[in-house]
Amino acid sequence: MPWVSIIVLLPLLGALSMLAVPAAPAGLRQARIHAIATAGGTVVFTAILIGLFDQSAPNLQYIDHVGWAEQVGLAWDVGVDGISLWLLALTAGTFLLAVLGACWRPPERPRAFLALLLLAEVGLIGLFAAGNLVLFYVFWEAMLVPFYFLIGMWGGAGRARANITFVIYTMVGSLLMLVAILATAFVARDITGQFTFQIRDLAGVAFTDTQSTWLFLGFALAFVIKLPLWPFHGWLPGVYRAAPILVTGLLAAVMSKAGAYGLLRIGLPVFPEGADRFAIPIGVLAVAGIVYGSLVAWRQPTMRGLVAYSSVAHLGFIALGIVAFDVQASQGAVLQMVNHGIVVLATFAIVGMLNRSATDDRIDEIGGLADGAPRMAGVFLLVTMAALAIPGANTFVGEFFILTGVFRHNVWLAVLACIGIAYAAVYMLRLYQRTMNGPPRGDARAVELRAGDLMLLVPLVAAMLFIALWPKALVDATTPAIEQNIAPAQVAADRPADQIAGDIPANPPADAKPLPGDDDEAEAAAGAGTGTGTGTGAP
Amino acid sequence: MSGSLNVAAATPIIIVAGTATLAFGVGLLPGRGVRRHGPALTSMAGIIAAVVMSAVLWGDRQEAFGGGFRADRFSLLMNMIFLGSAFLTLMLAWREPAAVDRRGEYAGLLMISVSGMMLVAGAGDLISIFLGIEVLSVALYVLCALEIWRERSLESGLKYLITGAVGASILLYGLTMLFGATGTTSLDAIGTALQGTSFTDEPLVIAAMALIAGGLAFKASAVPFHMWTPDVYEGAPTTVTGFMSTAVKAAAFAAFLRLFTGVMGDLQPDWSVAIAVLATASIVVGNVAALVQTNMKRLLAYSSIAQAGYLLIGVAAGSIDGAEAIAYYLIVYGLMTMAAFAVVIIREREVEDGDSIGALAGYGRARPVYGVVLTLSMLSLAGFPPLSGFIGKFLLFGSAVENDLTWLAVVGAVGSMVSLAYYLRVVTVAWMPQPDSEPRKLLTVPGPVAIATVTCGVGIVATALFASPLIDACRGAAQSLLAP
Repeated sequence: MPWVSIIVLLPLLGALSMLAVPAAPAGLRQARIHAIATAGGTVVFTAILIGLFDQSAPNLQYIDHVGWAEQVGLAWDVGVDGISLWLLALTAGTFLLAVLGACWRPPERPRAFLALLLLAEVGLIGLFAAGNLVLFYVFWEAMLVPFYFLIGMWGGAGRARANITFVIYTMVGSLLMLVAILATAFVARDITGQFTFQIRDLAGVAFTDTQSTWLFLGFALAFVIKLPLWPFHGWLPGVYRAAPILVTGLLAAVMSKAGAYGLLRIGLPVFPEGADRFAIPIGVLAVAGIVYGSLVAWRQPTMRGLVAYSSVAHLGFIALGIVAFDVQASQGAVLQMVNHGIVVLATFAIVGMLNRSATDDRIDEIGGLADGAPRMAGVFLLVTMAALAIPGANTFVGEFFILTGVFRHNVWLAVLACIGIAYAAVYMLRLYQRTMNGPPRGDARAVELRAGDLMLLVPLVAAMLFIALWPKALVDATTPAIEQNIAPAQVAADRPADQIAGDIPANPPADAKPLPGDDDEAEAAAGAGTGTGTGTGAP
Repeated sequence: MSGSLNVAAATPIIIVAGTATLAFGVGLLPGRGVRRHGPALTSMAGIIAAVVMSAVLWGDRQEAFGGGFRADRFSLLMNMIFLGSAFLTLMLAWREPAAVDRRGEYAGLLMISVSGMMLVAGAGDLISIFLGIEVLSVALYVLCALEIWRERSLESGLKYLITGAVGASILLYGLTMLFGATGTTSLDAIGTALQGTSFTDEPLVIAAMALIAGGLAFKASAVPFHMWTPDVYEGAPTTVTGFMSTAVKAAAFAAFLRLFTGVMGDLQPDWSVAIAVLATASIVVGNVAALVQTNMKRLLAYSSIAQAGYLLIGVAAGSIDGAEAIAYYLIVYGLMTMAAFAVVIIREREVEDGDSIGALAGYGRARPVYGVVLTLSMLSLAGFPPLSGFIGKFLLFGSAVENDLTWLAVVGAVGSMVSLAYYLRVVTVAWMPQPDSEPRKLLTVPGPVAIATVTCGVGIVATALFASPLIDACRGAAQSLLAP
């Protein structure tokens, strides 16, 4: 069974089937069925895949490879490893919840809304499963369109400006990434004689330091904008404020992980020297983001703004974990990607519910709601504790892993990052206290959790508790893949041999195909290629 | 086979030229129905015959008329683009006043123009190239002014005539100098004469190259020879505009490839910078000017300038990969541009100022099928993956990176980014809620127009999904450029 292809394409089927559904209100029921069936089906297939997954294998599994335009290196190539498996699960799960949420409380034009949600799901799942650089780029771009329309058509005040900023920021990065992708393939061909866009065939190609640096930079810019790393976060506050809260939740929960995933999947294994050169700068920016995000979150007058900036801080942790080139730190980063996804979705969901009383989204509109809305207060407290990474919470495990790993290599970055943990307590508790405790203000009845709200929050809280109690279930499966992916960067950073557990991939692999017509050139290059390379692409 | 007549190799162009004559004749027959639709139907039959003959001839190079005309994979693939574009144009012009009330002039002139393009693509001689360019242009001067009851249309025809004549004379001057430098008009002989030389050896060739590039840039509407484009595109009948921006551009690039990649290949390091500058200027000017347009035809005019810039990247690369990328991109560019113009044509029939972007407000909801076609076309023009426009740009940028022009690929990438702003604006407008003030006005779309529009939309997706065989065909065409 082509499991991964099914998981990627099932939501696409759902989105296309919406074309056959009559417009609301007549087709609302049908649209709901189509959306829930396909989003639910994706979750089921992902669960099956998790069951079938071989936890001890470091490489991609369940690879589906179909030629698209093979002569120029384009192919449909998807698969999973320990890193992408959990991100697939996160995406499938959060999107099912989002679809359920949208079905429970249908927005205007529900058919189009659901179709776009499913298209966004295709983009993200495909991105996490792609094993080919061009396919990665295709999904990277493809997810932008549904999000553009979701924000532009259902967003609130200031959406036009936020949307344009969002698109321009993202496209600046991604189009340079496209050039970097092309340059990578051609430079690699000059070195190995194989023309390929397969990430697994490009890993371990002996780029010179200059080539590696420039190519890494081309990719990294796209990744850090998407993440977003401070100071590339300019698009984030506006978009998080203007987008419908459901979409904001998805952007923060899943889309932000695309950048971190790209660093780990492409940046480190393919361009280890470049990654090594930029490890400290990225680490410094990540720490700056942690401090800056925390401070700004503390002073935010609006709830969405607070969560948006707290997201910048949390994603700083994830980036820091990745550039530490440490197995434990990277495991923490992957775990934290999942944790942050769950927690931030829950936080945004709660903010959405609080907005029923605080229509302007201002924190000072409401207060003392715990009395009239005890269920809300209870769940909110749990989520707050998770968001501030209190020991025992799922996020604590992730941050602890990251900080331990970073501490081993760079004490100062770890110490500074710890400030972020302290500040998280400040701003999250401030939000909780202002809204739940003190003299009552606002309509407590409106914010109390109802059946539909619980449907959304209970699975998220359950997932938090599960990871808090048994993080090993997730972490163990990631170990071989992470060891494999960060090994080249560890070598480039001259880490002691006992820390390097993964194999360094050897390239050129035997089965890579040269371009038709390039046979002579390829042979000549392979004959002369001693691994130093005479690359062209990098200026 | 040089020296022999070998008419067989020239059958497609002979069929097209014959059809043109026939179409004029049919337009003069009595009977309203025959007069109105006869020429178009005759031309369509001729196009199908020519496509079939082109397919039959597909293979190694055959020369006709003593080497002055050749049928190789490149010229045959280009023929398909010209013929396909003309076929779609005829379908879109179904029941257009300019097409049916002018007694076969529309269809006949269109076919004459196509025969000129085919002459350019199949040229084996400098004289054939110039003849082809002139034949295609003269027919178009008239086509632009065909709606004689509109001042704009007349103005468009006149402007195109004047600038076109300037462009043609510059081109002719360049061709003359090339003849002066090498002493022959045969492309093969020129190629042999220039082998292994560089510009430093041949100062006359520098001037020839610059003038030829300038002359062809007029036809391709590349900056700085683009100033006629927006006015002519806006004024001409929209079906003619669609034809001009697809087929004429393809013909110009066929000439570019024949002369630069095919003949002056050894001089590529010398001329690629000049072409790259043209490309950069076109990408910058086209994309930036398109940002502020409110008229759909003007927007597409500036977009076509920018697209000419992307195509020039492939010329600058000067390699087989570059030519392959251009061939593929010309096919998909034709489809996506035709799709965009088709929607404008449909809308123009319905409302007074149907070519303004505002007229498309809420159109996606009123007519979902055409809304989807328009969206596909805009996204593909912007190079959004996985549509065919993306694959085309991917090939073009790839050819640039491979030939040490990474900076040019970066320029193209940044240009595509800017272009997204105005393409997405059209999409947003189309799917916006309909303004309540005016009543929704929709007319039935004639069958052929609807079929042509949907075909373009399907083509954008199909050329992406089945890119592999298409790229193979383009590669074969590109290789035949350099084949002895």
